[in-house]
Amino acid sequence: MGEILGRVVATERRPNTPHEFHFWTALDAPVGIGTIVRVEGTNPVSGHLPRVYGVIVEGFSYSDLETPLHDVLGADGSPDRASDAPTRRTEIRLYKGAVLRHVPDDPLQPVPLGSVFLASEQDVAVALRMDAYMKEGQSTGIPIGLYRAGAMASPIFLDADFLLGPEAAHLNITGVSGLATKTSAVEWLLGSIFAHFPEKKGTVAALCFNVKGPDLCFLDQPATRLEPSDLELYDKLGVPPAPFANVEYFAPYTARGYSLNTLRSNESLSHNLRPLTWGLREVLQYAEVLLNKDDVDAKADALIDFIRERVVDQDFQDAALGTTPHRVQSFTELERFFRELLRAMEEKNHEQWRTHHVATIRKVRNRLTNISTRCRGLVTDDGTVSDLPWGAFQDRGVYVVDVANLEEDAQDLIFARVVTQLRERLEKRTLGVDHVVVFVDELNKYAPSDGPDTYVRKMLLDVAERGRYLGLVLFAAQQFRSQVHRRVVGNSGTALFGRMDSDELATPGYATLAPATRTKLATLDKGELMVRHPHFTQPVFVRFPRPAVLSGREGVEKFPPAEEPTLDEAIVRALRPLDRTITLDWVKETIALADEDEVLRARNRTLQVRPDDPKAFFRAQLKRRIPAETVAPRPRPAIRTSPNDDPYAF
Amino acid sequence: MTTLGRNGREGRVRESYAAPSGGANVREVQRVLAQHGGSAPAARGGSLETHSTTITPPRLDAAQVVEGSRLEARVIVGAPVAACGGFLDGIQRSVVAWYPRAMLPAIHATVAAAIRTRAHDRTLHTWRGAPLVERALYLPVALAGAELVAALGAAGVSVVDTLPPDEHAGDRHPQELIGVARQAIQERRAQLEERLATEWCATEQLPLYVDGGISGFAAASRSPLAIGVVKSHRTLYVDAEGMATLAALEPGQRSSAMRVASRGRTQVASWYLRLRAEGDPLGGLVRIEVAEPGFNSERADLVSRWVLAEREPAALPDARWRVMAYGIRDCEEYLRAVAG
Ligand SMILES: Nc1ncnc2c1ncn2[C@@H]1O[C@H](COP(=O)(O)OP(=O)(O)OP(=O)(O)O)[C@@H](O)[C@H]1O
Ligand SMILES: [Mg+2]
Repeated sequence: MGEILGRVVATERRPNTPHEFHFWTALDAPVGIGTIVRVEGTNPVSGHLPRVYGVIVEGFSYSDLETPLHDVLGADGSPDRASDAPTRRTEIRLYKGAVLRHVPDDPLQPVPLGSVFLASEQDVAVALRMDAYMKEGQSTGIPIGLYRAGAMASPIFLDADFLLGPEAAHLNITGVSGLATKTSAVEWLLGSIFAHFPEKKGTVAALCFNVKGPDLCFLDQPATRLEPSDLELYDKLGVPPAPFANVEYFAPYTARGYSLNTLRSNESLSHNLRPLTWGLREVLQYAEVLLNKDDVDAKADALIDFIRERVVDQDFQDAALGTTPHRVQSFTELERFFRELLRAMEEKNHEQWRTHHVATIRKVRNRLTNISTRCRGLVTDDGTVSDLPWGAFQDRGVYVVDVANLEEDAQDLIFARVVTQLRERLEKRTLGVDHVVVFVDELNKYAPSDGPDTYVRKMLLDVAERGRYLGLVLFAAQQFRSQVHRRVVGNSGTALFGRMDSDELATPGYATLAPATRTKLATLDKGELMVRHPHFTQPVFVRFPRPAVLSGREGVEKFPPAEEPTLDEAIVRALRPLDRTITLDWVKETIALADEDEVLRARNRTLQVRPDDPKAFFRAQLKRRIPAETVAPRPRPAIRTSPNDDPYAF
Repeated sequence: MTTLGRNGREGRVRESYAAPSGGANVREVQRVLAQHGGSAPAARGGSLETHSTTITPPRLDAAQVVEGSRLEARVIVGAPVAACGGFLDGIQRSVVAWYPRAMLPAIHATVAAAIRTRAHDRTLHTWRGAPLVERALYLPVALAGAELVAALGAAGVSVVDTLPPDEHAGDRHPQELIGVARQAIQERRAQLEERLATEWCATEQLPLYVDGGISGFAAASRSPLAIGVVKSHRTLYVDAEGMATLAALEPGQRSSAMRVASRGRTQVASWYLRLRAEGDPLGGLVRIEVAEPGFNSERADLVSRWVLAEREPAALPDARWRVMAYGIRDCEEYLRAVAG
């Protein structure tokens, strides 16, 4: 039973209802906003003594004074006299509780006058309806944090069926920068999911977009500092305090193409870092992601469709283009195709080619070749594809795509293609896992509440609305929830709130919270969260431990990013993970006669094919091309402008 | 003095609000009486405390001055100092519950008394955890008849006879009967107060601030611990010259002490003390009573300083706040909450 903490009170002016009640406590009672309590009624209803569980949402304190003026009068106007009065005025601590659950829940009645107790661990489970999904042997509980009140501590679990589908899904986390611990909370929760995802629900993996600096660059490295209090939380919540065991990193190349565009470039971490490069075919499929932003009309669309379906990746023959068939597999070849087509039209003075006007052809040529410039590093001229392991995703695998340093266009393209691939493959059940958590930080940038209706936003809306049936789950974070599209946050079954900005709290979305709850949100400590979950009638406050992974900030100190390499060094770095015997001298000797493009192409092919004898394969790539090059050196693509200080430009 | 620690909390939040046992309430009494005929009073629930029928008329009754030869204003040496460990007060609530016969009122009364002690953290708590509460029916037994009284007794209702058995009971004005009942109720309340005062003085070490005089007490009126503070002055123990002295008393000043003796009461030492300034010459004025044994001027000064210390916090919003200690108001509020 425990010690009586307080007593329910009700007056005509402040009556209790089925959803709200008031009680008073001793001045030193260990309760506050967010504390969960149990009310024991004294009059049986249909043979049961009613029990009500509630959470404190507001607190009041007042004395027997009728007006402040009385205190002034009594102290003759001098505050110091009031403070050394021999007796303390009678004071009340009155709390408002919001009902979490009635037992029995029928008939639903106002909260009875009764004794109030601090909720025990078991009470908390009943109050939050966790008893329904925490049954021995068939639990779907995922620990989110520890609820504490007085000396009592109780683990709080989310229901996997409501966090990762199919009943409900998605998670959204809000809070101010640096203090809300949003990114940390998601890292912690992923670890918790991996440790507790019930076996009968199948397999699960995570795909994280790293959108900010080194944030998610060291998920496979242990944290430098976990306090005893953190370890205690890991222990109580049953999650091993260890970094993720199976992480793969993907990043496009930098514009120059020597190294990968990521802060996780320290050589000692290269074993699980792979390039992310796409060719013409991959990009054309998603061309609309970038083109629909511009003034691309139906005519241009028709031409793009024609190129995608009739030209790319096949032998294309056309009277206007002479007798040898064109084979377009890369941006370089597409550019050559356009160049020859336009030259032929000019020579013959034709305005039209297969119903397409010359102006449309020029425009589409511009737009498409533009993509390869805007997305340099991601889109290869030569069509080399290095991609996520579609079809071979592993259970408990974490796949991080680093888009932090990319142009917006490249980011959009990656989002669109990766998420669409996930969706299609989950639909066909050919991804390799049954569930994927997609983590998108800074959601307000990708799914803003206002602004143009971009492809990326439409796609996120679609995931939010339909993902739960597919096992495609969105975990998203942002500073200001009010700036994110309503339907994205609205479809999020679970919402977490860290320390909040008071301006944000003043927006209409938070009007349902009691003022005291809002005050608490504005003053939350690091590591404290308010949790909303479909099973919980009211939000609850929990504490979670520091993530067991190395933070981005500490990571870049411990593993400083590699210097921008020379071409030789870049090749060594890229090929060494395939063959440890590759040395700088070997590379220098091997590529001495080749030009930069050839060398990078050879590297890309080697990384893509991952041959048994990387040295021989790499050398063969160069040999095959060098004679062709010497006979008829191809002009460098016009779109590749070399910077003046580029030592390799010649 | 008790200090409530962690374990004390149980005492503060009790299992239920069931009024401390003290007998049948009005409703229960009415149920019993209705079975024996008679009639209900017309106006329900009018508390007798609100109509003042039997109030002693104001008068002057000059007492013998024992400090110097005549009543003077005296400046108190030393600052106010809080020394009282408890505050004693009582309440009474009475209504005409029934008319068992025409013109024969049966009066139900609740009387209660409590001491509120001050803990180290300056908060107030009920001494020994509970007040004294008594509920009873007040009526002249000779007029009501033995049968009715027996029935009431059988139903667990305490009955207090308002007329001495030898007094002639017949031919009484009903208002007069109400008057004697009120007298009896007041006495009953005084008895409860006295019981607490006596126990306090026998067992505690700190002074007890008593609302009203102490001369009506027996043992307690001779204890150095009982400090009576009288707020109303229907009898002024001064002559015409003394009245001028009282009127001129500044806040924080006291009068010379007197010996106050009334019939049937203990003789006590008493003096006037101005607590606060007010336009009315009797406003802000209290009369203090202490035991005569051991009395001297230093003690009058010391006790005055104790009483002055209790001006804060002010007992507002009570209308009598200028002369009422906060501890007494607290005691009264407490009694109203549990027994009113
Ligand atoms: N459980 C925890 N307890 C205490 N401190 C924590 C906890 N989790 C994270 N922190 C600390 O809080 C700080 C901020 O964390 P984090 O980067 O996750 O915040 P954020 O809300 O994602 O910030 P931003 O909006 O800038 O991305 C870090 O320094 C981290 O060490
Ligand atoms: Mg962050």
